[in-house]
Amino acid sequence: MNGWTVTATAALAGGGAAVVWGVATGPLRRRVIAQNLSTTLFCSALLLLAQGYGRPSYVDIALVLALLGPVGTLVFARLLAEDLDEDPPRARALTWRAVGFGAAVVLAACVATGPGRAMAKLLVTGALLIGGTLVASRALAHGMPKGEDRHG
Amino acid sequence: MADAVIVVALLLVAATATAAVAVRDPVSQALVLAVLGVALALLFTVLQAPDVALSQLAVGSALTPLLLLLSVRKVRRQRKGRTE
Repeated sequence: MNGWTVTATAALAGGGAAVVWGVATGPLRRRVIAQNLSTTLFCSALLLLAQGYGRPSYVDIALVLALLGPVGTLVFARLLAEDLDEDPPRARALTWRAVGFGAAVVLAACVATGPGRAMAKLLVTGALLIGGTLVASRALAHGMPKGEDRHG
Repeated sequence: MADAVIVVALLLVAATATAAVAVRDPVSQALVLAVLGVALALLFTVLQAPDVALSQLAVGSALTPLLLLLSVRKVRRQRKGRTE
């Protein structure tokens, strides 16, 4: 048990409880935000665990999650557009806090890894994670083109 | 002490799975299921099974909610068409 795993445990215990609470209760807009931010939280935790276990190959899982998590949120934003229209979900402060945590984790992992291929992979994961979260929360807040508009 | 991560991941999965059963609205259920898929992937990673976690992620985070939401949409459309 080292500093990386302790940080991952603390983040999972605190953030995970918040995510489960947010996604299980409250109005729909709060649930989608919780689902979006769960990607950021779990991806950061996976990066921390990869460092803590000393297994760089575990970064693959974080990479796949950084790719697929925002895709899942975009699916919700697209298919729930009618339900979210009248009261669009906005949580700018919370989103930036989660993104900041993710960026800090990626930076710390990069510093610990040192330059090389592994660091490039970490940077790609971080860029996908931060960009994906921001794009997904933007799509939630500003809506997406509805199917009816296109299909007539 | 080293098992703390496993305990936290297990608790997360248990809480999310309970929520997925307790929530009645199918749309909210799809959201909880998405989080449950990612939590399960995390549990598999913590239990040192990264390949299982990868496949769980691929299925759980985007595919299951997509299927559920598409069926909800189709049912709603049919119901709307029947009442008109």
